[in-house]
Amino acid sequence: MRVSVLLFFTISIIVGSINIVLAEGESIEMGVSVDTVPVASDFDGTNIVVFGSIEGIDDIAAKLGHYQVVVTVTGAPEDTIVRKKDRIFGIWVNRDHRKYTRIPSFYATASRIKLGKIAIPEVLREAGIGIENLNINLLAEGNIETILPTPQFTDALRRIRTENGLFSEAPKNLKQLSPSLFRATVFLPPNVPIGTHEVRAFLFKSGELRADSKSSFRIQKVGFERWMYNIAHKHSFLYGIMCVLVAIFTGWAANAIFRKN
Amino acid sequence: MSIYLPIAEISVNIFILFGMGAAVGFLSGMFGVGGGFLMTPLLIFYNIPPAVAVATEANQIVASSFSGALAHLRKGTVDVKLGILLLAGGLVGSTVGVYIFSILRSQGQLDLIISILYVVFLGSIGSLMTIESLRAIQKAKAGNAPMGRKPGQHNWIHGLPFKVRLRKSKLYLSAIPVVVLGALVGLLAAIMGVGGGFIMVPAMIYLLRVPTNIVIGTSLFQIIFVTAYTTIIQSTANQTVDVVLAVILMVGGVIGAQFGAAAGHKLKGEQLRALLGLLVLAICLRLAYDLVITPDDLFSVLGASDVGGH
Repeated sequence: MRVSVLLFFTISIIVGSINIVLAEGESIEMGVSVDTVPVASDFDGTNIVVFGSIEGIDDIAAKLGHYQVVVTVTGAPEDTIVRKKDRIFGIWVNRDHRKYTRIPSFYATASRIKLGKIAIPEVLREAGIGIENLNINLLAEGNIETILPTPQFTDALRRIRTENGLFSEAPKNLKQLSPSLFRATVFLPPNVPIGTHEVRAFLFKSGELRADSKSSFRIQKVGFERWMYNIAHKHSFLYGIMCVLVAIFTGWAANAIFRKN
Repeated sequence: MSIYLPIAEISVNIFILFGMGAAVGFLSGMFGVGGGFLMTPLLIFYNIPPAVAVATEANQIVASSFSGALAHLRKGTVDVKLGILLLAGGLVGSTVGVYIFSILRSQGQLDLIISILYVVFLGSIGSLMTIESLRAIQKAKAGNAPMGRKPGQHNWIHGLPFKVRLRKSKLYLSAIPVVVLGALVGLLAAIMGVGGGFIMVPAMIYLLRVPTNIVIGTSLFQIIFVTAYTTIIQSTANQTVDVVLAVILMVGGVIGAQFGAAAGHKLKGEQLRALLGLLVLAICLRLAYDLVITPDDLFSVLGASDVGGH
């Protein structure tokens, strides 16, 4: 009896100390399947795959499913305006608006289960994980009315971006290949913004954020589209002249071809 | 088959756009109009950002007006001096128009103003056209010859100073109304993405009293330059000209125009005008309806990298 109690006690201490050591040693590593996602004329959305491993975990806890991984992809933050229409003389007119600063142009999460089942809202909010928990900050314009929080505008921002496919949460797009290996798939819709996108992987244990890591990839136009876009933005005057020349040529060609007929 | 438009930054179906180009080209060939006032609303209905639709349409009109003007130059039905006067006003109007365009866009009111301008212009011109052509049809049935221009008839416009002699048009009139008309049409070209022929042609006939055979060639001649200029400054100021979109529309447009012109020969003038009038009114009503009905979503979101005004 005494021996067994002593044994239990000893085991508890050992297990407990192992737990502490492991908790400090948990880490998450990952890699994105591509460095650059090319956007060519036939681009209509694509998937990227994020592979990763979690290290230094407690095997028993892992087997019991206490570990959860969330992968997020965040597009470049930019100033964003939300406008609201109002009826003036029977016509719907953009009237009220709010300006927000550093709103991600794209945001997607991949996890094995719903975010709400991985951690409590406070933890998710602290880490800024999930569409509901993105930081949405008003751009101060000095006007008191536009500084006051207005949930209808922030709700509209989240809702419209979600409807456009630019904000998404995919609670089934992460697979745990083994206790330490995971694979997440993130869909990039056709309207995904061009630029550098940040990828983060978060490791939760029993609802507690234990580790995270960062990576990134680029989405860029390639070939003709890239050339065209760059000219249009960097040499816009030349681009305009080129557009006119193309039109003149087409008009002349049409005239020449159909005159013979 | 979908194609990614590099400036509009959206994927679109190339065949639908080509078909739209061909359909509008057919109508413009049949009715002898530029088609910008039909194409821009269609592009907007097809979810092309209005800012891109308007600027790109100016580019397309360069092609269609150049093609049409070549035929008129060959026939000698262009009054170059009158065209240059109109153009002088047109360049000023277009510059101001692109400037207003940029301001409206930053204020989030561009889509609204484009729609309202379309409703006003399409509504008034469509009604006038329909009424005028229905009367002509009635008169033709009654057996009366249509009324021509009475020689020596003058209006207040002919009393203005700075007179110039236009030999080809057999006119001696003030440069002021010509330049003002050019400026007004240039302004509309920039904001609405139209060549402005649908305003220019009636104004030249009824206000300036330019002979009808000279009107279309001269109008096309100056539209080439105003839309070319608009294309260049829209590109420079707003970066909203999508040349890929423009080329698809141009090719569809010029092909459609050939068939349209052939079909147009088989219909009588006043029947054509009545049909066109009704078509213009239909587009006007559709745009007006969109302005008045409660939108699906009262809110809209615009990031710094978005092109359009949706």
